[in-house]
Amino acid sequence: MRLLLLAVVAVPAIAFWPTDPQDPDQVDWAQHVRKACESRRFGIRLAAAKRVANGGDAAIPAIAAYAKDKGQNAIPSSLVDAIADANVYEPKVTALLTTWAKDQTFYWRSSAMRGLALRAGATSNQIERETWGKLFHAYTDDPAWLMRTHARFGAELAGQPNPNQAPERDPRARVRLARLLLDYGKVPSLQPLIDGLADERTFLGIPWGARLGQESSKALNRWLAADFPELTGGNTLESTAAILAAAEKKSGQSLTMPKLQRDPEHGITGGFEIASCKFGDQFVQWSADGTVRFGIDGSRTVKLPADKWQELSQQQTAIALDANAGVVVCDKLQMVLLDAKTRVDIAPESLPTAASDWLKRLAQSLEEANETETAATLRRGLGQFEGR
Amino acid sequence: MATTADGMKIQQGRRSFGKLSGPSLTMIRLPLSFLLLTAIGVQPLQDPEPVGFPVLAGYEYKEGMTLPKEVTNLNEKVVEIRGFMRREFAGSGPVNSFMLINDACGCMGTPMMNEIVFCTLPDGVTMELLTGVVTVTGKLYVGEVKEDGDVILIYAMDADTVTAS
Repeated sequence: MRLLLLAVVAVPAIAFWPTDPQDPDQVDWAQHVRKACESRRFGIRLAAAKRVANGGDAAIPAIAAYAKDKGQNAIPSSLVDAIADANVYEPKVTALLTTWAKDQTFYWRSSAMRGLALRAGATSNQIERETWGKLFHAYTDDPAWLMRTHARFGAELAGQPNPNQAPERDPRARVRLARLLLDYGKVPSLQPLIDGLADERTFLGIPWGARLGQESSKALNRWLAADFPELTGGNTLESTAAILAAAEKKSGQSLTMPKLQRDPEHGITGGFEIASCKFGDQFVQWSADGTVRFGIDGSRTVKLPADKWQELSQQQTAIALDANAGVVVCDKLQMVLLDAKTRVDIAPESLPTAASDWLKRLAQSLEEANETETAATLRRGLGQFEGR
Repeated sequence: MATTADGMKIQQGRRSFGKLSGPSLTMIRLPLSFLLLTAIGVQPLQDPEPVGFPVLAGYEYKEGMTLPKEVTNLNEKVVEIRGFMRREFAGSGPVNSFMLINDACGCMGTPMMNEIVFCTLPDGVTMELLTGVVTVTGKLYVGEVKEDGDVILIYAMDADTVTAS
């Protein structure tokens, strides 16, 4: 009788008992997604992004609705990175990451690709691994260095490396792939990280070599843990040699001591960088004699005919821009002229006409110097910056 | 538009700040600091201590962790840090606060919490973001700051000067 009474009282009470606030199906994901995308405080966006990412499949409709309403590129990188990194391997999450990774107009497709790579590493099913492999192979030579690096990372984790992929020429990509694999627990060839330690090169004043050194050092520090040597600092090569010795001992790999990489004296007077998450980065710099260098390390050179270069030089005021233009979210064109002390960032569709015309003339001159491929690549990269 | 002696073209005639739409920083801030120090008589004006991201970001940050001594020792010290200015929120126009990060391009991935110094200019002072490497000088504050239970920063700086390197 007492039990019956308890049941009569308890059932309605349980019916109105508040639902578990952690129940993913009961969470107001739209609110969390808005916070992850729109909060003015970076830390708040980051925390909300992690919450959304950990919601897994339950949060996906809210993300899709937000993207539909505000546009795909209103989704910030912090949210995509959080979803990529979350230890949540659910079908709707994977489907969304796949859609993002395949969308060339999406700024953060490389982050989505990293998320796919991590998920590919979690499966031991051979058929699934082969399916993943096919997806990754389509991007292992993508022009955007992070995109192809994450695709190569995924192919490695799926046990499906692409035998036909091109050799990697970008030092940033070599270091990043080694770092990703090491962090994941797969010890790759450590030579790119050792090389990174001794890199002090810059591009038009941007110290990208030092950034590689920090990334390499941090990755090796994490992996070597207690075996990471005590460094006195102040001497890059001494520190590199000490870390190399510890890395050789732990890995059993035979590693080569790198030379200190510094900028050669080329008399660079200006140039530009196209940073593009969509289409890949381009680095172009020139010296007064008409030698144009390509690549972050300036390793490929083209000498323009003297008359052509003289003509371009005389018109350089067209690119001596005095103010940033447009709102940069990810892709940008940074124009630098050392003598004119110009350094400006240009967002897509914001390049002034005169500057755009000068860059077209540069591409034309390259084409006339039989650099057809280089000129075409340059035109592709510059296209999205032309003013509308 | 003006050109600095050792820097790039910046968007206003002052070396330290791109575009001041508030009071002039060096005219107000420095005498105030001097007066405060003189009045309190605590310490002489000190040279800022150079600090790099290899130290600030040289460890794996986990929420709630005890921060390494190398960084906690910097708490409330006047430091100078080289890095890249980034808006806390996408947009345009002058800012009163910005993030100083170690990455020239926003395309390298989301920076970790210990890879960001949240810099605030004095009240009423705003500036355009400078492109390229900058050196920011000011008092650094180290430690987790939470809002609604979430860590929103671990490095904050009262920025006194921002110089195009």
